Amino acid sequence: MSRRITFIQAVREAFQEEMRRDGSIIILGEDVRKGVFATTSKLVDEFGPERVINTPIAESAIVGAAIGAAMTGLRPVVQIMFSDFTYMAMEMIANQAGQWHYISDGVLKTPMVIETPGGARGGAGYGHSQSVEATFIHPPGLKVVAASTPYDAKGLLKSAIRDDNPVLFFEHRRLLTQRGETPQEEYTIPLGRADIKRKGTDVTVVAYSASIPKALIAAERLSQQGIEVEVVDPRTLVPLDKETIFASLQKTYHLVVVEEGRRRGGFGAELAAIAVEEWFDYLDAPVQRLGGLDAPLPYSPVLETACLPSADDIVHAVLRSLGQEV
Amino acid sequence: MALDHDTLKDLYRKMVTVRLLEKRVEQLVMAARIPCSGHFGLGQEAVGVGVCGPLRKEDYLFGTHRGFAEYIGKGMTPAEILTEYYGKATSLSRGRLGQHLLKPEIGVMPLPSSLGSEFGMAVGAALSSKLRGSGRVTVNLFGEGTAGQSDFGPALEMASLWRLPLIFVCNNNQYVELAHYREVVATEDIAPRAGAYGVPYEIVDGNDITLVYQATERAASRARQGGGPTFLEFKTYRRCTHYTGDPGGYQPKEEIAAWAQKDPIDRCRRLMMAQGLWTAADEQAMLEAVSAEIEAAVQFAEESPYPDVSTIYEHIYA
Ligand SMILES: Cc1ncc(C[n+]2csc(CCOP(=O)(O)OP(=O)(O)O)c2C)c(N)n1
Ligand SMILES: [Mg+2]
Repeated sequence: MSRRITFIQAVREAFQEEMRRDGSIIILGEDVRKGVFATTSKLVDEFGPERVINTPIAESAIVGAAIGAAMTGLRPVVQIMFSDFTYMAMEMIANQAGQWHYISDGVLKTPMVIETPGGARGGAGYGHSQSVEATFIHPPGLKVVAASTPYDAKGLLKSAIRDDNPVLFFEHRRLLTQRGETPQEEYTIPLGRADIKRKGTDVTVVAYSASIPKALIAAERLSQQGIEVEVVDPRTLVPLDKETIFASLQKTYHLVVVEEGRRRGGFGAELAAIAVEEWFDYLDAPVQRLGGLDAPLPYSPVLETACLPSADDIVHAVLRSLGQEV
Repeated sequence: MALDHDTLKDLYRKMVTVRLLEKRVEQLVMAARIPCSGHFGLGQEAVGVGVCGPLRKEDYLFGTHRGFAEYIGKGMTPAEILTEYYGKATSLSRGRLGQHLLKPEIGVMPLPSSLGSEFGMAVGAALSSKLRGSGRVTVNLFGEGTAGQSDFGPALEMASLWRLPLIFVCNNNQYVELAHYREVVATEDIAPRAGAYGVPYEIVDGNDITLVYQATERAASRARQGGGPTFLEFKTYRRCTHYTGDPGGYQPKEEIAAWAQKDPIDRCRRLMMAQGLWTAADEQAMLEAVSAEIEAAVQFAEESPYPDVSTIYEHIYA
């Protein structure tokens, strides 16, 4: 049986099911009991204040506490209220969470999830709107998830919670209230497996999170012009399912990559580098890379929108890739 | 000691401006005329307004996200605030800042999106005043929840070590978003933490504009005389919800009602009337003038154009 539930509900269900299954899972974060974005709201009623813990406003220490708890037998989930604030805990995430397993030669594990909503939704301004996922593909030992649908969110979050490594789980605020078909029955989605969101033969568009709906709109428009775009959603940036992307490229020979994070040093930069290194013979045109403007995000809605790739921009990038744009 | 009459009237008018402006902004947010959410401080107007009272124009203020009181207190106008909230080209930032109000020429310094990121910056501004001998005082306002942030301790340490002209002002409104502060703050008072760093502190009724003004005046004059930092904790209460998207319901009605009895604006008005400084006619005239100023500002913001999209490429680097 399947129902249409929101992204928020899907995430809450994943928490609920996992916390019922495993008593070592705790949730830590600012206002997680009532829950400003509601992914954790009311969990305290079922699991009690010892497992759903409101913390002081101290992102670095919250993540630090989760690392310590994870090393000693708990499986913490940290909620960082806006993903922009992961930067306040950068030391803990980049230097500590992802590194101890390796340098302890496998003795220490840090099974933890950082759940964090973010991205531009209009009206929140420079420090509550950024898409910072790509920042976390650089430090070692971290996994990075960025789901685009409620179905994916639930299945991936359950896997993230069960994973023995630190996983960053990004939620785009524009997607939080979107609904999607989600089965009633238990399921998980392994980290590191991409999903084809639309089949096509002419151009491969790799996009994730809130760029997926835009890529699908662009694909629809292009289809009316006789161009069939394949939309590939990696769903996890680390580990990256290169096989699925490569398989698509072997059909299309054209690659476009879209993200809302800033373009410079972004996910697209990484993917384009992989494409050039490993799939050079399957590129008929330069990789087209779309991303946010390399500037702070201005507040005014007209300006914010102009800093981010649109469905139109994706259409143009696909046409450029095919050499059909002057 | 009472405040002089003109000062009191000025503070009163500013508090009323804050209250009416917040009400108006709330309506505009709910009507989706303003794209951001609003964080209001119903019942805590005396803190921001009172703290800015004894400051000079050139003194530095690092205010808060619930900060109409301090921004109006420091001299920003409703039109400056509204055009930012609307994201219009006529705003001081040409649509870039939104809620993060800024006006360096009157000492209004950055309001970081991330709570607590201002602690270090405020230390830097005070250090700069001291090294440049500018005589300027820096005020760093923050909530009791924000005192948990990681730069709080180091800021006190540096301010104390270097005897900086810095006033830490904790606006303790008893709520940290949707939680009562004692759920996430270990002690009833924040101020004694300053004592551990050798910074003198006072705990003051934040709903009494006279006391807020005078405590800040003492701290500012200490700072100007080279006496170093002071920590002030003002006890007050947020009678509204955390922000416009918060339906509330978690604050006990009796608690809200009890604090409504201690409303800082009512108290100030009663004081002025008792001193014979204020009449019902004065009140009426002032309300009309303030409302007219706000309505003119709303109209100006409404009619202003959005910024030109090409401006997004300007000022990425200096
Ligand atoms: C680093 C960071 N974490 C979380 C938030 C989200 N947030 C906004 S206001 C707020 C509560 C602040 O409480 P307090 O310091 O008491 O100030 P008040 O809102 O009561 O004025 C929180 C957690 C933020 N803006 N920055
Ligand atoms: Mg507070």
